[in-house]
Amino acid sequence: MSHLRSMLTLCLLLTAAVTLTLTAGCSDTSEPARTADGKQAVTLALNWVPEPEFGGFYAALESGQYASQGLDVTIKPGGAGAPVIQQIATGKVPFGIVSADEIVIARSRGAKVVAIFTSYQTCPQGIMVHSDRNIESLEQLFKTPGTIAMEPGLPYGKFLTKKYPPASDVKIVPYTGGVAQFLNDKTYSQQGFIFSEPVTARRQGANPRFFLTAEAGYDPYTVVVATSEAFLEKHPQLVKSFVAATRKGWELYLADPSAANAVMGKLNTTMDAQSFKEAAESHTHLIENDHTRANGLGSMTLERWETLSLQLVELGVIDTAVPASECFRTLD
Amino acid sequence: MNWRRVLKLTLPPLISFIVMTLLAEMLIRGLEVSSFLLPPPSSILKALVHPTHRGPLLAAMGTTALAAGTGFVLSGVIGISVAIALSSSRWIERAFYPFAIFFQTVPLIAIAPLLVIWTRTSLQAVIASAFIVSIFPVIASSLSGLLSVDPNLRDLFRLYRGSRKDTLLKLRLPSATPQILTGLRVAAGLSVVGAIVGEFFAGGGLGIFLQTALKEQRTDLIFAAVLLAAVLGLILFGLVNFAGYFLLRRWHASVQ
Repeated sequence: MSHLRSMLTLCLLLTAAVTLTLTAGCSDTSEPARTADGKQAVTLALNWVPEPEFGGFYAALESGQYASQGLDVTIKPGGAGAPVIQQIATGKVPFGIVSADEIVIARSRGAKVVAIFTSYQTCPQGIMVHSDRNIESLEQLFKTPGTIAMEPGLPYGKFLTKKYPPASDVKIVPYTGGVAQFLNDKTYSQQGFIFSEPVTARRQGANPRFFLTAEAGYDPYTVVVATSEAFLEKHPQLVKSFVAATRKGWELYLADPSAANAVMGKLNTTMDAQSFKEAAESHTHLIENDHTRANGLGSMTLERWETLSLQLVELGVIDTAVPASECFRTLD
Repeated sequence: MNWRRVLKLTLPPLISFIVMTLLAEMLIRGLEVSSFLLPPPSSILKALVHPTHRGPLLAAMGTTALAAGTGFVLSGVIGISVAIALSSSRWIERAFYPFAIFFQTVPLIAIAPLLVIWTRTSLQAVIASAFIVSIFPVIASSLSGLLSVDPNLRDLFRLYRGSRKDTLLKLRLPSATPQILTGLRVAAGLSVVGAIVGEFFAGGGLGIFLQTALKEQRTDLIFAAVLLAAVLGLILFGLVNFAGYFLLRRWHASVQ
């Protein structure tokens, strides 16, 4: 009997220890710490390494935009698999960079996160293909023998393979970063961002062509600044100031990216100054369009979120559509 | 098969598993933990048996099992052979053993993309990953066992002019069996880990299932896949113990 009792006690201790450790430190919406000069210290978590896709944030930091709003912002670079949306949902960071589809999925799973600013109006993600293959469209790509590398589990991949079912001699493999295999194999195509992989491939002597997923009809807002509903409720003015400073930062970056590029170049030594310059030139039309000229950089519409929600239901990623109005806030 | 023995072995872990699952269920629901973070065991179970996921999960487990199992068998056979070769002379051991340590320290995530390039099919790449991660414990334990033969028995074989082959097959290998089995036990779990990491890069199996669940923020599916991976490791582990029981039951204290 004493065996059973000690066994049960151990069970209780083990279970309690594991459960409490895993769920500790959730939702910290306390007042952000004040720095020596009275500014509020907040963190912005990136979902990748510093690259032109984050140019506006570094521009806002370097030019003192955040400081002029009373904010001491720390930009935390990320990397492969950085769990930014989970960090926002659990209150570990007040602000983070995610994609719009991540927000819709998170909300459908019960996490209360909202988008407050979008860097890209048009999603810069797509597939990079060798020009020599004379492929004119994504539809043709999925019918031509070869290999296509896409990150497993991303909704855009499901969208493309559903819209253009791959032929039997098309191999879909996981995309794990870099352009090495693309450079070595003429029949290899891969996922990428328009300002990143094609630029790198071109610098290494390849002749790539890039197809945007947006052209196929899947166009979520990208490099979206998100926060938790709890943080927004508790610190509405702080969030508003952050958005205003971020908007100014992107305006500055589009006008002249050199200062922010220099800072990012020091943090990310895999890209040289020329690559940064070319990358920054390649994405302006995806950030600024007629909508932003009328409504300001970073603004979002109900329709885009509604469309995205319905697309995710169609793809079977979520069960029921998430109300678009809950996914984002417009803070002017 | 001694059924009393089977019961004695399987009942305690089963009881503690059921108790801890129930306690976790009560704690997680009681503390109202968001299922986005940590799903209660009931929702993990639901995800496991749900018709949408049941098939793909089991299929993924099968693919990973094939790769992990093959990698494990390879690391067992090659690992023991390498250990025998290393134990044949002190000079050979000193000259080559340090290189075997390479297999333990190499970061699999860094070389997995290379494995994909060097092999012809994705299954081969995954088997190679499982093999690389699991071979070192086999070499280390087997070598230790082969070098720890009772010196008196070794002298006895020498007295009777035992051939090298006889000494290996009738003395050194049987004497090393408990330690070889320990190495295989460690290799069992590692081969599953290696297979899953390999699948992140080569595709297929529980590795890709996990990545997809992660991207789609299905925490319950993540835990379900992790559970199946653990079951896989347990099965391989159990097979080693099973073999050990039959090999050692007549003379070794560990299975008495």
